[in-house]
Amino acid sequence: MTKRAAILLTLSLLLTGAAFAEPLSVVTYQFKHKSAEKAAAMIKSLMSTEGSLSMQAGDSTLVITDRTENVKAISAALAQYDAPAQTIQLSVRLASARNEATARIPDNLRDVAPNLAMVRYNVFENLGSANVSGKEGDSGIVELGPAYRADFRFGEIDPATGSIPLSDFRLSKLDKDQLSQLYKTTMNLKVGRTVIFLATRDPQSQRALVVILTAKR
Amino acid sequence: MISCATFRATFPVSVDDAQVLEHLRSCDVCLTFAVEHDPDVMFRAVGGGDPIPPGGLDAFVGDVMREVRMRSGSRSTGPKESALWRRIAIAAALSAVVSSGALFYQSRSAIPGVPLTIERAAMTSVIASSRPVIENYESDSATIIEVPTAAGEDVQVVMVFDESLPADL
Repeated sequence: MTKRAAILLTLSLLLTGAAFAEPLSVVTYQFKHKSAEKAAAMIKSLMSTEGSLSMQAGDSTLVITDRTENVKAISAALAQYDAPAQTIQLSVRLASARNEATARIPDNLRDVAPNLAMVRYNVFENLGSANVSGKEGDSGIVELGPAYRADFRFGEIDPATGSIPLSDFRLSKLDKDQLSQLYKTTMNLKVGRTVIFLATRDPQSQRALVVILTAKR
Repeated sequence: MISCATFRATFPVSVDDAQVLEHLRSCDVCLTFAVEHDPDVMFRAVGGGDPIPPGGLDAFVGDVMREVRMRSGSRSTGPKESALWRRIAIAAALSAVVSSGALFYQSRSAIPGVPLTIERAAMTSVIASSRPVIENYESDSATIIEVPTAAGEDVQVVMVFDESLPADL
């Protein structure tokens, strides 16, 4: 009796589940400017658990299966992404930071002064700044004053997050004609948002380097 | 059965003799006497005249293990099977109730104007916009802190404490 009840209930549950499931849509997207592989990685966050992706014809076509509403959102994001390489403008400012009795901040950092107040340093000194523009995929080098240099590569703008990857951003210091790397990182810069990147040996260090980056289209 | 005198005369040398052990089981005075000479004799006496069970030790062990298996087998089939089916029935009934409720809710929400899809889209955008600023940082000894920003904030502060950095930055 109990067995029969269990079987009947399981069957009814399966039927209910089948009725409950939303139909899936399939769309094929052919890329003109960008790589399908990179696009696949980018749209994963937009897909539901029922969605799936497959690549066809090398790296130029993407087949997306998902709920209709998701497919629409993904198609819109892909159309925005698959555009000719966009021009990006990057502003780089470099400052040293330390502590003194009287706080001091240079004029070119006034716009971020309230945010700099949250770090433990109160004296900031401008070491150099540069504005550079380039297209997605381009490399760039900027001299920051006489002693520092930054080199990097622009990634592709991710329409899902509105961010630009700044790959292999390397800050180097010229010391006695020798250029030595201080650090190397890859960042995601949101278009229009400023990132204050403070680097120091440890939280108690007397000195820190601050790189302020702003990316715009 | 042998007498107490015979037992005491025989005991030290014939400690494994069946007659000696039989006397031991029936005579407390001789048992006390025997224990003084050989404490282990009491345990041998408990086993009787023939310490090997009929059919040998292997057959005895086999019988015991068969009985153990039979009992554990009978315990695991009967009551457990019915309990399993009962559990499946309860789980299926609960799932059916929940899914029917959800289906009912969905059918009510399908009325034009109820924004089910908007909720889902909003959740997706939260996930998508929560990408970290620092994708990677080349150092084994670095601690990266991304200070959370309020919604609409245009400046993000990131701090890196890296022991491999030189002191004179």
